[in-house]
Amino acid sequence: MMTQRRVIHLMGLAMTAIVAGACTTSTSTSDTGTMRAAMAGPASDNDWPTYHGTYQSWHYSPLAQINTDNVKRLRVAWVHHPGRSTRGLQSMPLVADGVLYYTGSYSRVWAIDAATGNPLWSYFPKLNDDLVAAQTHSPYTRGIAIGQGKVFVGTVDGRLIAIDQKTGQPAWDTKLINSEKLTVGFTGAPLLVKDKVIIGAQGGEWPGRGPIFGVDAASGRKVWEFLTVAGTDEGMKTWGGDSWRTGGGGGWMAGGYDAETNTVWWGTGNPAPLYDWAGSDWKTAGPRPGDNLYTTAVIALDPDTGKLKFYHQELPHDAWDFDSAVGEFVMIDRDGKKLVVHPNKGGHVFVYNRADAKIVNVWPLVQNINFVKGIDPKTGELIGRRDMALGKHTNLCPAIAGGMSWNSGAYSPKTGLYYKIGQEWCMDLEVVKTTPILEPQAQLNIGASFTLRNPEGGKAHGHVSGRDPVTGAKKWEVKFTEPPLASLLATGGNLVFVPDARGWLHAYNAETGQELWSFNNGLGHNGGIISYSAKGKQYIAVATGWGSLVGDEFGALFGEPFKSMPKDAGALVVFALE
Amino acid sequence: MSSMGRILALATVVTLAAAVAHGQNRSPAPGADPAIGMQIFTNLCGFCHQDGGRVAGRGPKLAGTDRPDDYILNRIRTGKEGAMPAYGRAFSDVQLRSLIAYIRSLKDDGK
Repeated sequence: MMTQRRVIHLMGLAMTAIVAGACTTSTSTSDTGTMRAAMAGPASDNDWPTYHGTYQSWHYSPLAQINTDNVKRLRVAWVHHPGRSTRGLQSMPLVADGVLYYTGSYSRVWAIDAATGNPLWSYFPKLNDDLVAAQTHSPYTRGIAIGQGKVFVGTVDGRLIAIDQKTGQPAWDTKLINSEKLTVGFTGAPLLVKDKVIIGAQGGEWPGRGPIFGVDAASGRKVWEFLTVAGTDEGMKTWGGDSWRTGGGGGWMAGGYDAETNTVWWGTGNPAPLYDWAGSDWKTAGPRPGDNLYTTAVIALDPDTGKLKFYHQELPHDAWDFDSAVGEFVMIDRDGKKLVVHPNKGGHVFVYNRADAKIVNVWPLVQNINFVKGIDPKTGELIGRRDMALGKHTNLCPAIAGGMSWNSGAYSPKTGLYYKIGQEWCMDLEVVKTTPILEPQAQLNIGASFTLRNPEGGKAHGHVSGRDPVTGAKKWEVKFTEPPLASLLATGGNLVFVPDARGWLHAYNAETGQELWSFNNGLGHNGGIISYSAKGKQYIAVATGWGSLVGDEFGALFGEPFKSMPKDAGALVVFALE
Repeated sequence: MSSMGRILALATVVTLAAAVAHGQNRSPAPGADPAIGMQIFTNLCGFCHQDGGRVAGRGPKLAGTDRPDDYILNRIRTGKEGAMPAYGRAFSDVQLRSLIAYIRSLKDDGK
């Protein structure tokens, strides 16, 4: 299959990148070489084969038919309505060989002619409706994986399903999580690596152990399972008492893959309960004493075995719900060094050495951060932690919704800039002792009551900036009255696309941040955006449809248009030059 | 019944009807404990109903709600698609009524 060839090609690109990286010290030159190798061949340039665009997680299309000179002629080419878009449309579409695949709520999958918008097939899995009705973080489905002639989708009731890519008929259906007991399932996209489909469970504030699975793509057989809570002997020692049994974790967004070292990078969720009454005594007291490995960490797994190779815990003993299961793993080469750039929900961006997750730099993307005084850019050590004991606390920044959310930024090898949304808001809270609820079904364990609020001296807002991904140096920034919540797209046409919360899709000059085009889709954006080519024409496809755990805050915080914006509607809107 | 008795009886009926209509049937159900309700609420309900239900967030403000107990109980049990999970199978009747007792204990300070 073309998609499989593409994946193999992506693996080959890493070797090209080694040569390119060894021969150059220029970031943009090296990165361009890597991406060109990644995208060599017409099929690869035309497609969007995996959640983050490529294994390098750039969310970048080299296509340049739509560019800074002609983007003002961008018009709607076709629209697809998935229906029943409960909590909006949060999906990242994929494209292979002229066919677009995407998911709607309730784990529904479509294959659509990417040039005309004509549906080719659909697959609606039969779900446990009683369970779905009882779930809190449901029924959205954020993406799929394709390859080996199949489309892979995780379901909110804990299954991984393979669908024949041509016919839409199910090939296998594997139950991986006892969702009836745990109430969590799969909402994030799987990642296909060689012959394994890798997918992480929801977790975080649920009293479980947050597994990540490796499943044989051909048969659906579970090959391995890595527990993000105390998944090794070393990890077990970082949980006091029996707290590991109800530790949370999970890995609910797709990670990245470094083919050169055969390493899967995955971000993990926060521990449970979210808020910990131990205060500064958290190492020995409270509901989960210790560092709580491997929650709120980036972990490097062997895709063949699921064995942990190395890791970095971004926030030891996360007491703020600022997990690492967000965003992208941007793999770039800089001055002969192979790096990976990863955002953390708390508002800092971590830059790692790809070989061992050693810290290269840490830089803040948002202004309103006071859960720590800082993070040591050389070691990653938290400086001046704000650990909250029982009782009331005011002006914790960022708010529970994070300095960054789960959707992805973008990186352009042409500009060498990393484009990312920042969220500026805070909250007041009261930390309360709770007991995990495990029977008859596991339930959330928050451990506090809270209220979102404006930062001191200002209003809650958002911004999109173009920055050096390694140093964080800002080249340009655009402010938004409310934080956009969707993913971003960078293109070879020197454009950055920003789908905003109110429903406007903006195109900016990637070098300068100058707005060149916008269009009102009529519903807030809360999902993915991609570019592809079909029958010689470049398209931009964006998911519209409002309603999510973060977006649901907007009505109370910002008023209209969010108070009256539908949370059960959505559409895939596809643009092309007129 | 004397005319005074009829007047009193009528007044009682009118008062009760008004209370039910306004959602003020506040007498706690047997076994309901607002402290138990507060625990459950902080575990999970507070994720959407902010400041312990005192202000609107993802979910509506609950302090001072004029919804009758039965309405709230039904909403907790059956949920609302896309907005509120159904907790009917998750909690016992006493736990659910303890949640009601907690919600009724919240002071509405106009926030």
